[in-house]
Amino acid sequence: MAGSLKGANIFYIFSDAVRSIRENLATTVLTALTLGFSLSIFAVFVFVFFNMRSVINSWGDRTQIVAYVLDSTEAPQAMRDAIMRVPGVRSAEFVSREKALGELKEELKGHEAILEGVDENPLPASFEIRVAGSYKDPAVLTTVAERLKAIPWVEDVQYSREWVEKLSAFFRLIELVALFIGVFLAGATIFIISNTIRLTVYARREEIEIMSLVGASDSFIRVPFFIEGVLQGLIGGLLALAILAGGRLLLLSKIPPYFSFVVSSPVPVPLLALILVGTGVVMGVAGCLISMGRFLKA
Amino acid sequence: MIQLFHITKSFEGAFALADISLKIDKGEFLFITGPSGAGKSTLLNIIFGSEQPTEGQIILDGRNYFKIPRSEVAILRRRIGFVFQDFKLLPARTVFDNVALSLKVMGVGPREVRNRVLRMLSFVKLQHRANFKAMSLSGGEQQRVAIARALVKEPAIILADEPTGNLDPALSIETLELFKEVNSRGTTVVVASHDKNLIERFGRRVVRLENGRLASDGR
Repeated sequence: MAGSLKGANIFYIFSDAVRSIRENLATTVLTALTLGFSLSIFAVFVFVFFNMRSVINSWGDRTQIVAYVLDSTEAPQAMRDAIMRVPGVRSAEFVSREKALGELKEELKGHEAILEGVDENPLPASFEIRVAGSYKDPAVLTTVAERLKAIPWVEDVQYSREWVEKLSAFFRLIELVALFIGVFLAGATIFIISNTIRLTVYARREEIEIMSLVGASDSFIRVPFFIEGVLQGLIGGLLALAILAGGRLLLLSKIPPYFSFVVSSPVPVPLLALILVGTGVVMGVAGCLISMGRFLKA
Repeated sequence: MIQLFHITKSFEGAFALADISLKIDKGEFLFITGPSGAGKSTLLNIIFGSEQPTEGQIILDGRNYFKIPRSEVAILRRRIGFVFQDFKLLPARTVFDNVALSLKVMGVGPREVRNRVLRMLSFVKLQHRANFKAMSLSGGEQQRVAIARALVKEPAIILADEPTGNLDPALSIETLELFKEVNSRGTTVVVASHDKNLIERFGRRVVRLENGRLASDGR
């Protein structure tokens, strides 16, 4: 960039930027609107994706392995500690023989006759075990089950490999579809925003050329565009935030409460605001500077 | 001050300028003339640096023009006042702002900008139009704004491409008198014009171009 920015220059640059925003108010607003809507569409996708993922994660968190244990030779807490030491086990909940019978009776309510004649509790004690990340990699479940079986007081291990495999395949499909939509949406968002900015800069190419011809340094020409880019990005980011907040309120009043998780923010709201405004500013500034860089070089 | 060595400019095989060598001394007043399409504007643009020659070199103030880094081009342009044939004014800005731009890019303070611009506008008889937008002016008035913008920074060199093309005879003479006055203070002036009467009236060095070639050079 040619020439140092003297005091008078800085004064002119800023007063020029203010004037330029005033003169090009319509295009500034149009660009900010485009930024706002594009960012909010992309943010909605990110919201839905992350919220759906956490739901699928919670499906995967269901009890995955039941380990039946021999009549207690060891205290439940000691057995639990031993199970928790098996790599991959996230949680283990002890179900005593009495509790198992109670649950069975509850399930057989109305058909108690089935249990008539059963004097002694026939059910073994067990552990309901959850394995971390098994819905992503069903093989983990098999490995954990094998290790559990090797424990002397474990009588038997049951798990539904089929269910986990189905869940795993479904999760992979969802991730693939989301990746495809995400890439497409991100591409479309960048394309729309960069083209809108390029058109607004193109409309002012004559101004850039004339300023350059009368001896304006690159920084003298660039800074007002930079300030406008920041402003557009700022307004666009805030607008996206407002659209998301408004849309969420509207949706919450229309959808059943158990679906409300879909529209909740996956990150704290101040962080979300920072991400949206930051992305808006970066896109606004980068778009302006890249577009006008072409005219300056020409 | 300005030396051109074997300048050639071709567009898709057609020559706009062919092998032009020229020396313009500091403080000289020079007319470049010739019929339309002879290459007058191209020559001025090449001297100004807004067009690159296909071949040849230009020495400006002892420096090879095409070896000056891009960052210094802006500084160089501040020393040259160019009156463009199509004026190149910012149409939505006022007359005052258009003229002031030349000084603002040089970092001149606001008070001095105001004084010099108003003085220059009264010099070209446009003080009453200071707050009018450039696009609302007539062709002749826009031309005078372009002249004021070129002169206000008191440049070392004035390059003027048909600066009287939109002016009536009386105003044309006044404009050239203006250039003459600036020239008398040491500014080098190069004017491209096809107005024979005007050129003869001023009796200065005349470089004649024909089909991109130097046809004659003399008074």
